[in-house]
Amino acid sequence: MLTKQSLILVLFILSLTLCFSLAIAKDNDTASAMPSSVLVNASTCEKIEMLAPVNQAAVFSVKKEQVFCLTTFNPVPQQTYVYHTWFRRDKLIKIKRLPLNPPRWTTFSSIQLRQADKGPWFIEINDRKGHLLKTLRFSLTE
Amino acid sequence: MIFFLTMMIDSYFSSLRWQDIADIALNSYILFRLFVLFRGTNVLRIITGMAIIWLMQWIAAAIGLIITIWVLQALTAVTALIIIIVFRNEIRRVLQTKNIRALLWDIPRPTVSTTVGIVAETAFELAQKRIGALMIFPVREDLSNAIHSGIAWDGLVSREMLLNIFWKSAPVHDGACVIHGKRVTQVGCILPLSLQKKLPSHYGTRHRAALGLSEQTDALVVVISEERGAVLVANHGTISRIRNETELVRLMDKRGGLQKKSVFFKKERWQLTLAAIVSVLLITGIWFNFTGGLDTIKTIEAPIEYMDRNPELEILNTSVVAVKLQLSGSDTLIKALQPDSVGVRLDLSEALEGANSFTLTEQNIKLPPGIVLKKMEPSVVEVMLDIIVTKELPIQVDWVGQMPPGLILKEATTKPQKIRVKGGKQVLKSILTLYTEQVSLNNISKSGKLTATLAINPALLAPVSPSENKVTVIYTVAKRK
Repeated sequence: MLTKQSLILVLFILSLTLCFSLAIAKDNDTASAMPSSVLVNASTCEKIEMLAPVNQAAVFSVKKEQVFCLTTFNPVPQQTYVYHTWFRRDKLIKIKRLPLNPPRWTTFSSIQLRQADKGPWFIEINDRKGHLLKTLRFSLTE
Repeated sequence: MIFFLTMMIDSYFSSLRWQDIADIALNSYILFRLFVLFRGTNVLRIITGMAIIWLMQWIAAAIGLIITIWVLQALTAVTALIIIIVFRNEIRRVLQTKNIRALLWDIPRPTVSTTVGIVAETAFELAQKRIGALMIFPVREDLSNAIHSGIAWDGLVSREMLLNIFWKSAPVHDGACVIHGKRVTQVGCILPLSLQKKLPSHYGTRHRAALGLSEQTDALVVVISEERGAVLVANHGTISRIRNETELVRLMDKRGGLQKKSVFFKKERWQLTLAAIVSVLLITGIWFNFTGGLDTIKTIEAPIEYMDRNPELEILNTSVVAVKLQLSGSDTLIKALQPDSVGVRLDLSEALEGANSFTLTEQNIKLPPGIVLKKMEPSVVEVMLDIIVTKELPIQVDWVGQMPPGLILKEATTKPQKIRVKGGKQVLKSILTLYTEQVSLNNISKSGKLTATLAINPALLAPVSPSENKVTVIYTVAKRK
């Protein structure tokens, strides 16, 4: 037979479990209901000055040593992150996870260029859930 | 040595197939039929001449007589023309006069113009003309004691000569003539008269003489009655009337002529038998020359032909493209071997999506008759099959070269931006983009557009719409900052 104290303890545990579940459900609902970040600008460029792209292009020379992928999100409702995934001729080269902070955020990734990197490239920009936001295409030449 | 020879012959005959025996038999029969149809014409002589030319050419080649080979090769080259021109009459005669049965089966008998035939024909002609005659055909017995006053003649039997002997104005027409074999040996012979009393009253001296000789000897005597125009034959003491030529021929054959005729047909039978044996030996010899030995080995690479593939599946990859076949056969057959006469066929009817492994056997190899497979490499073929699907892929320009200094290619887009392609499911899984062939930047100095061809490996992918293998590239050039 359960004692009165044991019964109170069981009811307490059940109440805690219920409250915790409700809290998680509410949090999920809030997350899905929250507006996602909006990509307003994405470009490949030779360099970045004052968070703005310089010599935005579709073809880069490997002599430039570096190529940047600059993305600007506005708004950014909550802290999140995006992925910059770099491919060379359909082969995955690099994945960069970049944080985004409210209210607006500009972020970038880059690669160092070598002679062997010549050829067509593309960058996929995906959100936290993996949704493709944009694909940027460029070539590396002599 | 003998043991080795026996082993070799054994191995030869043990490797004989029923097709080989049929091959020899059929060609031997064709050769024999050619002999039967063309015997007695110039064809056989000319064929023999050609065979000799061919043999001479072979010998000349063996010992290296350059000019002789050249001349004989030229002769052989026009052989076909020679055959058509020289044989045209014989070929026409055979084809026009013979029906299928005559071409394939019948053995034409040459018309035999025997002494018996000539005598029979002449006898009835004499009878018709009411010219009396007596013709004696000795069998075994010597007639010198029975006949008298014969004049030696020694002429080959002919209708004209017999008519002349018994012509009423001829000095010897009253006597009998003796026909020995093919020749008239005596004429004007006096024969012993029969002493029989019960002979019909219309029988004259000629009848009595014929009967008299037949009573005393085994000779057969043909009598032509001048008065009645009848033909009679006296034989073994009896005389009987003969109604027609056939009856006379039969009777004479029965007594003596048959022997000659049978000798003739026996000779013909021997000739045909010999021709048949020679045909078989000749074709067998040629066959063994072609296929015998199996002493030459040749290795060839035969491409694999994939058959009965499920149309929904595509061959993605194979471990080999061709199979090395080590073949053995006679030198002649190996030299005559054409690459397209050898094939490797692989049945893919039971193949599934993914990797399939097949072991090649002799049943997969198609070889000409007389060629034997000794070895094949590799014996296992891996075939990767894939399901055909379609997928829409973005297009990207593959730029090369350098822009002029101070300029940058700011932007480039293609029209269309995406196209639908079909290909293997596994292949398409790894393809994310369709690239153009390389487009040079060297000549680009201002914004514009150009046409670029897609760099698609047709073995793996193809645009769903075949016209979509080219795209328009629209590009923007800007000054470098």
